[in-house]
Amino acid sequence: MLSSYAITIGTIIVIQAIAVCGLNVIVGFAGQISLGHAAFFGIGAYTSAILTVKAGLSFWTALPIVIAIGGLIGLMLGLPSIRVREDFLAITTIGINFIVEALFRYIPFFGGALGIGGIPRIMLFDIRMKGIPFFFLCLFFLCIVILICWWFTRSWASLAFYAIREEETAASAMGISPVRFKLLAFVMGTSMAALSGSLYAHYMQFINAGDFSFPVSVGFLSMLVLGGIGTIWGPVIGTVILGVLPELFRPLVDYRILFYTLLLLVMIRFQPGGLLGEKSLVKNILSRTFKRC
Amino acid sequence: MNTFFEQLLNGIAMGSIYALVTLGLTLVYGVMRILHVAHAAVYTVGAYMGLFLYSSTGSLLLAFFGASIGCAILGVGIERFVYFPLMKYPPFVPLIGSIAVMLSIEEIMRLIAGPYILTFPAKLPFPDLSFSGIYVSSTIIAVYSITALILLVLWYISSRTELGLAMRAVSQDISISGAMGINSHLIVSITFVIGSAVAAIAGILVGIYYNQVYPTMGAVPAYKTLALIVVGGLGSVSGGVIASMILGVAETMLIGYANIPFPRDALAFIAMIGVLMWRSEGIMGSSR
Amino acid sequence: MVAPILTVNGISKHFGGLKAVENVDFQVFPGEILGILGPNGAGKTVLFNMISGVYRPTEGTIDFRGERIEGLPSHLVARKGIGRTFQIVKPFTSLTVLQNVLVAKGIMKYGHLSRIWGPWGSRKDINEAKEILERVGLIELADRKAGLLPLGNLRRLEIARALVVGHTMLLLDESFSGLRHEEIGRLEALIRDIRDSGRTIILIEHNMRVTMRLCSRIIVLDHGRKIAEGEPKDIQKNELVIEAYLGRKGVLDVP
Repeated sequence: MLSSYAITIGTIIVIQAIAVCGLNVIVGFAGQISLGHAAFFGIGAYTSAILTVKAGLSFWTALPIVIAIGGLIGLMLGLPSIRVREDFLAITTIGINFIVEALFRYIPFFGGALGIGGIPRIMLFDIRMKGIPFFFLCLFFLCIVILICWWFTRSWASLAFYAIREEETAASAMGISPVRFKLLAFVMGTSMAALSGSLYAHYMQFINAGDFSFPVSVGFLSMLVLGGIGTIWGPVIGTVILGVLPELFRPLVDYRILFYTLLLLVMIRFQPGGLLGEKSLVKNILSRTFKRC
Repeated sequence: MNTFFEQLLNGIAMGSIYALVTLGLTLVYGVMRILHVAHAAVYTVGAYMGLFLYSSTGSLLLAFFGASIGCAILGVGIERFVYFPLMKYPPFVPLIGSIAVMLSIEEIMRLIAGPYILTFPAKLPFPDLSFSGIYVSSTIIAVYSITALILLVLWYISSRTELGLAMRAVSQDISISGAMGINSHLIVSITFVIGSAVAAIAGILVGIYYNQVYPTMGAVPAYKTLALIVVGGLGSVSGGVIASMILGVAETMLIGYANIPFPRDALAFIAMIGVLMWRSEGIMGSSR
Repeated sequence: MVAPILTVNGISKHFGGLKAVENVDFQVFPGEILGILGPNGAGKTVLFNMISGVYRPTEGTIDFRGERIEGLPSHLVARKGIGRTFQIVKPFTSLTVLQNVLVAKGIMKYGHLSRIWGPWGSRKDINEAKEILERVGLIELADRKAGLLPLGNLRRLEIARALVVGHTMLLLDESFSGLRHEEIGRLEALIRDIRDSGRTIILIEHNMRVTMRLCSRIIVLDHGRKIAEGEPKDIQKNELVIEAYLGRKGVLDVP
């Protein structure tokens, strides 16, 4: 029998994996760095919380609005961001994260420092979703997101993204609008983050500006880097590893974060492509073993 | 009116410290095109080293020198073991590496020195002054004079020495200057030595100024100074210094003096986005 | 008199104090091969970059089939049917040769965001892309990663991509440079073949002999200005042109 503790960990991992998949669309597919993904995760959570708590909508009626708002704000913030040079983009997205967090914390409408509480659980077929059913609901959403990403890599758009990432001038000489495609990635990525944030809000039932601060963005990026940027399963694997590891290393409670950060450092230093990326150790070993069989 | 002037002086002191941190970041960006987030961790280590040396020897001079040397070694270590091997990847790879270094060092400091706030009760060799009712503490005088000294020395190095010329050549184009016979990797390392030593001094100054040294003291400056180098124009030293001064004063005056209920740490980023909209190359940057 | 397909009118590009191109005008007529000659730094590539939308001209107008295209972003110029190659080849290295062509193929078909979600591997697209590869002689290498090809093949790949986009006009930027002797002959034949299929071609070249043989008309740039325009045999005798090439008389002789 699964303990409720394990279910909690599992649910959080699945919710985060959705956000990391969104980040993968921006960083992995479009090659645009984003260090402010937690801001969009937060925008999703706050929008859903406000729509359900203050406007009295159900989770399901709120969901399309949440995803649309997430994508729309992604579009609005993406437009000026992608016009700047790459290094600026990294800093701009950090800035977006700090500003969005500050807005949540200082504007009374967003509950100020106290955050928003009393967020209702999701109702599905007259069942209040929590525990195992909620876990499967999140898993269902994750599957949809992965399916979209998978479809995306088979679509013509992914070829265009490759082209832009490798030779932007040549790509635009072939009729591809870099701005439009980068924005597309931003909108897709941020609306996935918003979906993830909405699930998070209805799971925790209480949210606070601190849940969406810059270190959360760094966490998302670490998961992506660990799993493999630009791959389909990398985001999921990275999230699972970084979600489960701290639990395994619970006895070493004091050294946990250090272990975490050193792991990230070693990964990026020796395997920048991540566990599933090109030229990765794990992939080589796997393919060699399979060849032998 | 007196509080106004006292806050203004505080603001300039804050700006000076920002400037010292931003300086290293700008220099590193200039030669390597890397956003050196871990610079703020070097600054934290500097503050701890300074505090340790001061409390064990009682000499402030020794604390400044020792911490500078220690941080210079740390800075070059980061460059050799993390940044240099990652130069061939897209810029976000070394950036993530830098964030990882930053967080690791923060954690190591927490494990070594404990998560508490330590005090830095330094006796400064400067007098407390008072002009017609405006009180100027010895810490502020120390911050002003040390910042001025460092800026002067750096100005001399960059404009009057061969080293400065080589550094400028490397920041123009690292491969061409290599072909011209400049040992560009050595120049990059020297840049890290200078930047990190200055960061150590900034760390000690902050420690004394606020009388606080703690493991996460670098967390906010790490990202705020990134905004500052954008506002100043990426790679422009004078722009970075000016932007730092303005931010220090603006933060202190708007939030400390005028009491505007506003998130202090978001101000730098709001200024940055404003500058990017208005003049994307920064206040002192060159347009390309 | 046939109406020109492209009219460049008083075009200039200044980078700060540097006048890369200064008040150049010329016309291109349908179905011709126009050569642009000039020493290094004469502004040839800058001129191409203005036509193809990489740079916005400081002054002047560019008219393509009755439409003003100066200052239009690159991808919109491409969609009007102007394809180009790059002097420093820009292959999409991690894609295969076939996929490189499919990228170009796709946008002409799925120009709008709403239509890009279909799979890129449709049989019809692949067949058409393969036809083009056949034509430029890269068909055996279709599934090779573009990053692994030698320069000569990359130049052909660039032409293949430009062919897909440029159903009306092709801009070829030093496609012959760095090629071996026998490759030059084959590429010449390919370019004639492209012209014969009804496309207009502008080419930038360093190789005099090739330019003289291929082009029906030539314009010569020096220090950003047009110093001569005419048929190859006139250009060969033009004093200014010979001077621009520093009196290297021999280079202009065609065997």
